[in-house]
Amino acid sequence: MSAASVRIEGLTKVFYDDSRGEVRAVDDVHVECASGEILGLLGANGAGKTTTLRMLSTVLTPTGGCAWVMGHELREAPQDVRLSIGFYSASTALYPKITPRETLRFFARVNRYPPDRVEERVELLIDRFGLSEYADSRVEKLSSGMKQKVSIARTLAHDPPVLIFDEPTVALDVLNALELREIIGQLRDDGKAIIFSTHVMSEAEQLCDRIAIIHNGRILACDTLDGLRGVTGKHYLEEIFVHFARDSEA
Amino acid sequence: MRGTGVRAIYGLEIRSLLRDRRTVFVSIVLPVVLMPLLLLASSRVERSRQQREESRHYKYAVVGSDSTFMLELLGDSVRRDGGEPADSAAPTFETVPTTDALNDLESRAIEFFVESLGPEEWRAFLAEDTARADELEDFHDTPVARVNFRSNRRSSSVGARQLRTRLAEIRRVRRDSVLVEAGFPIHPENLATLDVRNVASAVEVAGARLGRMLTLFVVLLMMAGGGVLATDTLAGEKERGTLVTLLTTGATRAEIIWAKLVAVTSVALVIVLIQIVNLWIYLGLGLIDVSSGFSVSVAPATALVLFVLYVPVAALASGILLITSAYAKTYKEAQLLFMPAMIGLLLPTLAPFLPEVSLSSAIVLVPLANVAIAARDVLVGQANWLMIGIAWLVTAAAAAYAGRIAARALEDENLVAGADSDRAAFLGGPALFRKRVLHWFVVFWAVKILLEMNIAFDDIRWTALFHVGVVFLAAPLLMVWHFKLDIREALALRAPKAGVWLGVVLGAPAALIVVTGFFQLVNLVLPMPRELLENFGQAILPEGIPVWQIVIFLSVIPGIVEELTFRGALLHGLRRRFSPVVLSLVVGGIFGFFHFQIFRIPSTAVLGVILAGITVLTGSIFPAMLWHAINNALALYLGSEGVDLGGGTWMTYASASVALALALWIVWLNRSLYPDLKGQLPSRGAHEHSNSARPEPPG
Repeated sequence: MSAASVRIEGLTKVFYDDSRGEVRAVDDVHVECASGEILGLLGANGAGKTTTLRMLSTVLTPTGGCAWVMGHELREAPQDVRLSIGFYSASTALYPKITPRETLRFFARVNRYPPDRVEERVELLIDRFGLSEYADSRVEKLSSGMKQKVSIARTLAHDPPVLIFDEPTVALDVLNALELREIIGQLRDDGKAIIFSTHVMSEAEQLCDRIAIIHNGRILACDTLDGLRGVTGKHYLEEIFVHFARDSEA
Repeated sequence: MRGTGVRAIYGLEIRSLLRDRRTVFVSIVLPVVLMPLLLLASSRVERSRQQREESRHYKYAVVGSDSTFMLELLGDSVRRDGGEPADSAAPTFETVPTTDALNDLESRAIEFFVESLGPEEWRAFLAEDTARADELEDFHDTPVARVNFRSNRRSSSVGARQLRTRLAEIRRVRRDSVLVEAGFPIHPENLATLDVRNVASAVEVAGARLGRMLTLFVVLLMMAGGGVLATDTLAGEKERGTLVTLLTTGATRAEIIWAKLVAVTSVALVIVLIQIVNLWIYLGLGLIDVSSGFSVSVAPATALVLFVLYVPVAALASGILLITSAYAKTYKEAQLLFMPAMIGLLLPTLAPFLPEVSLSSAIVLVPLANVAIAARDVLVGQANWLMIGIAWLVTAAAAAYAGRIAARALEDENLVAGADSDRAAFLGGPALFRKRVLHWFVVFWAVKILLEMNIAFDDIRWTALFHVGVVFLAAPLLMVWHFKLDIREALALRAPKAGVWLGVVLGAPAALIVVTGFFQLVNLVLPMPRELLENFGQAILPEGIPVWQIVIFLSVIPGIVEELTFRGALLHGLRRRFSPVVLSLVVGGIFGFFHFQIFRIPSTAVLGVILAGITVLTGSIFPAMLWHAINNALALYLGSEGVDLGGGTWMTYASASVALALALWIVWLNRSLYPDLKGQLPSRGAHEHSNSARPEPPG
């Protein structure tokens, strides 16, 4: 085992579709993510980002390959993996009838956070995410931006070492997206290992320490932005992405 | 499983439910108001209908060849004809003239008409109607009155019935007076005094009435109450996206399901309690008068027992609802599945309506039906606590199993995340057969029951040929065709080693005696009614059929086709799911359950286990076929000769056991294992069949 918080080796996911037959949505993916690092998964729609992250969060079972989260293998110890991660994606919604405070309390308890420290943790997150104004309003009454903040806060309810965010800024306005990126940056500074998927080039450029370019289910390159520039001779991430994507299809 | 996780999810479910005003209104407030209103309205409607019918004025006509006599007779029957009723509550009748009685009946000008027929007309009518031709012999040339009415019109039916009752009464009075005039020594009324005494207590009578329908009513309320939450809690969460959120937390699948199961169960129970208390209050206040004979007082201890009895019922109903919710991909789909689930749950609760059914029968093993009977027995005051305890445990176990199935659904990414990643389902063929074989046998079992209940022939040979020969042959062939299986592999159509036959010839008679001994043991625990045993013997060994034909139809054919089904298709489908020993037990057990009479299940299951073991050891279906045929033929022959196999001494059974062990040892020595089993028994050299096993893709 390496010291990386997340280590993925040969992860593969195959779907079966009546019209398309066998579809390799994720094909032999190898990446790592260390503590205090943001790894960006950059790819177009349907590239395999969400499937990869859904496997990491144990929603989907890999067809092949292995992945370890904090030393726990996905299929051998899925429960330990789930306790080590905070997972957010567009498909993970909040309970509409409870308040943000109750939401944070619920996710802390259900994720086995020490009971005597739950309230303290909830208050800390309310402060940190600026939720105090609407902490006791029902989630169903909140705006999209507020809900997004509560969603990110709830992934942190049990203070997990690994955070998995699947396109968290989708559907947010510019200001809310900026605020969210700042929060994610702070979480990196707190020492969290963050895997962050996006198809927005500028977001990846600003936020990610390393970027893994994923296309048709395969990782085409994984390096720092400067490293990718050096390999391709291109400056902008968009150009770099197109370079690798065209190269793989050639 | 952690209590903290279960409590947290349970709290969330209940809090979310209570904050959803529409759900609370629809599942609690509305029924609380509507249920008594419904009862009140139906009782008022019924009362007013009865009053209307009792005091109704009926117009009718008299037609026919002998209408003068009929009018005179009817005049006596309906004395208040057209006049002032002596009793205002009684119906009155008025004769009206008609030229076309049928047309007047059709147009509602009259409610019915009486047709007066002379003896010759009646004889001619009976002679034409083959179904009633027998009545001619008993007919003594008396005048005939035929009341014509329309059964699709209530006023017509009721009026005709009322008149018939009066006609019967006047006929009785006239008959008696004829007898007295003819010199009958006493008045016919005094021929014998008839008295009726009901020795059942009022509590027992009321308990029997309430007990018949209580479980049905309670389950109906549970489904109505728990259904909303159960549908929303999994199918609804899938749609909202909160289920994926929950599944990526540290809560285990079991914690999630148990919390939801307890939530739905408690909601169902609370709603039932609210409804019952609600009805109690309305009945107590006299706001609802259900019927004069329907008054029941339930002691607090009885109410407590009933509550405890209904806890596993609520859990099972909740479990079934959760399964439908878990397997539905959308909320709408869950709603569609709700109705079949409800019908499926309500059917067993009708068990108390079956005549003479008691808990000391196979019904104790049927979840829900057993509690329904237990509740009736408790209310009647005839509780057999041991059987009630078993019934409670069986239903509780079924509820736990339902919870497990629902939890398994949460492991299925196809259901949770809509991912089409089931390779076997995509590829079909043998890989899919292994996954679906048990489903097929469950359906096959149900079809077999329906066929046996509905198709019977007078000749036992035809019955055997259809129910065994055709049905049991069709099932494996259908599976082979549907899943594109290699018929030789799927049905183990391979030659065994020669030495095996010696073991079979020795083992089959020995096993028959051992299994009979086992049947005697089972009979101590689950006694089979003597009458049933005799009927079964008569059904199996009918008179007038040559023995060789009985052997063909009841030994050779079952020996071949039942083996193809169970030790062929079923064993093949399950071979990689269970280790060889468990495989034999499962195949034998399922074989037992296809013998529907409960007293036959244990002994046939033991035979099934032996036959499955033989097939696993020899890799071939043929030794099991011969063993099975010898077993049946010997049992039939000895039965026809009057030999009682169950009358052996312990020495008989011990000797048979030794012979059976020797036979199995011979088979073991000549073993050539079934190919491609899960795990492997030690093989005696390279298997001659294993190379012929077609490789299948991993499932």
